[in-house]
Amino acid sequence: MIEEVRKKLETELDKFKQVQKDYHKAVARRQILGSQLNENNVVKEELDLLNPGNEIYKLIGPILIKQELIEAKENVNKRVEFILSEIKRTEDLITSLDKKQETHKENLVKFQQSFEQAQSKSMKSN
Amino acid sequence: MSEISLTEQPNMFQIDLNQLDLQQLTMFKQQLDQSLSVFQDSLQSLKIAQNKFQESNDCLDKFTPDTKGKDILVPLTGSMYVPGKLINTENVLIDIGTGYFAEKTISEAKEYFKRRVSYVTEQIEHIQTIAQEKSKIREITIDIMETKLQNLQKDAAQRA
Repeated sequence: MIEEVRKKLETELDKFKQVQKDYHKAVARRQILGSQLNENNVVKEELDLLNPGNEIYKLIGPILIKQELIEAKENVNKRVEFILSEIKRTEDLITSLDKKQETHKENLVKFQQSFEQAQSKSMKSN
Repeated sequence: MSEISLTEQPNMFQIDLNQLDLQQLTMFKQQLDQSLSVFQDSLQSLKIAQNKFQESNDCLDKFTPDTKGKDILVPLTGSMYVPGKLINTENVLIDIGTGYFAEKTISEAKEYFKRRVSYVTEQIEHIQTIAQEKSKIREITIDIMETKLQNLQKDAAQRA
């Protein structure tokens, strides 16, 4: 009986740790996305300030390739959209992981209690 | 992610620090220490960025039409240079982020760097105000912790 409860407790703890790890990963990803969004918005602002006569180059590997201003603007807009959707996805993930963490926590407390009960019972019977 | 503030704000609990026990206060202080060190780090990187923009801006001051045709040394690697001549003193290429470079005239470039410097300065000031508030809360927490400790010691002395 006691072994059974202990096993349950351990697997639940492992699950909880895994969820916690995923949660931290998701939060870190959210932060990276936030700074990427910031950077792209800055670039967008700069592109909007440019005159049609200004040349735009895109760094691809070690070389600069000339690009049309409209094309560059489109690219940045697309990227901002992509990052926004990624942020939404990551935030949904964070909330769902948060919920999961809570349920695992509750389960852990439950298992811990039944483990202690089983322990005291076996102590008495001895 | 928890927020700590001196003033009342929506969606935030008000906590009387005097009601917390020593352990809770220690945890609270640790939390504050952590966020303060994050602020210190970001302040430092912002200051580095500010310096870089300022440096680039200062560099443009030396880029006058008189320098056209002057000899320069072009760095090929960090330790190897080839001689060259300056033929274009009207335009510069500026890295505007995420791999994009824009060709700008000297005055446009200066405008750009001015904009960047003021943006970064704004961010620095913003972080500084938050950091100041947090360090104030930290001091208050330490004060309360000390009085609590003294009270504990007094109690122990009385009992003895």
